[in-house]
Amino acid sequence: MGMCQRRKKMHYGDTHLQRRWRVRNRRRDLDQIDDDLRTRSGELINQSVDLEKPGFAQFYCVHCAKYFIDDTAMQAHFRTKVHKRRLKALETEPYSIEESERAAGRGSFQKPKKRVMETQPSKEEVSAGKRIKIEEVPEDSNTNDEQPTTSTKQSKRSQKMET
Amino acid sequence: MRIETCYFCSSKVYPGHGVTFVRNDCKIFKFCRGKCHKAFKRKKNPRKVGWTKAHRKAAGKELAIDPSFEFEKRRNVPVKYSRETWQRSLDAIKKVTEIKQRRENLFVMERLRQGRKVEIEMDVKDVQRNMSLIRSPAAGLKERRAKEEAEAAALMDEDLPEEEITYVDARELEKKLEEGLSPEDMEMIAA
Repeated sequence: MGMCQRRKKMHYGDTHLQRRWRVRNRRRDLDQIDDDLRTRSGELINQSVDLEKPGFAQFYCVHCAKYFIDDTAMQAHFRTKVHKRRLKALETEPYSIEESERAAGRGSFQKPKKRVMETQPSKEEVSAGKRIKIEEVPEDSNTNDEQPTTSTKQSKRSQKMET
Repeated sequence: MRIETCYFCSSKVYPGHGVTFVRNDCKIFKFCRGKCHKAFKRKKNPRKVGWTKAHRKAAGKELAIDPSFEFEKRRNVPVKYSRETWQRSLDAIKKVTEIKQRRENLFVMERLRQGRKVEIEMDVKDVQRNMSLIRSPAAGLKERRAKEEAEAAALMDEDLPEEEITYVDARELEKKLEEGLSPEDMEMIAA
């Protein structure tokens, strides 16, 4: 009834995102997950009981680095878009510090490798000895190899180039 | 003092600049400015962000694969100091930088030349397709039409006396048919 009405809130800002991006809320990076997949997928799937973690750390998705409360929840997660998107993201080799150096001109550029990603095996399979395998997809032969144009003579000096 | 490389955009990070982030697995990430740090916090993939070196090299915008890139590297091998090595490596650095610069420039120019070629091709195609916009198909139509009409009229004049109509008696034709003419003759008559 009052003369001045409260203005409608059209924009809710990105505070909720800013909170998620804080360093204290940082989740595992893709290169860390890649390392997990290659080296310790077995022990991550079959973790010992930890009362602090959701589901006592018994239901862990290695690709998404996430704990679930029970098997149903985890199986449901495997069917979600979030999980599939993560599998897709892990198909290419993650960006690393070494690659940033290469991009800066210390070493030649290397094309990121393509891999095959599948959802993790179940706990029984893991205890039977199955692990997450990362198979590299062979490169297509039609990739055009860029031959550097060598108009100048290469100086064959094996000197140390200190930065 | 070392000039570091930015994790995100691969630019130089001079001492006293930028941010260092140490992840809880002891990996050290250096950032040249807030822009890069922020992008890292948002988990952006540098390969997919247009302004980073990683993207430009992956997309073939810059010279990416060349033996001249193999000189400058962090080797983590201590070298015993000797004045001669020092002097010679200084010379080599200058030489290598010069060669690298030339190759990079050459690569970019080649790339641009390719673009220019495509552009010209596109222009030619464009002109061919839209020729009607440059020269109207109706240009000179009146003259052409008048000429055609004149020609047609001339032909008509010539043709008139030649046309003659021949009359055939239908009954006679039938009689002839009954007499048993071969179909070839029939056609002749019909013609």
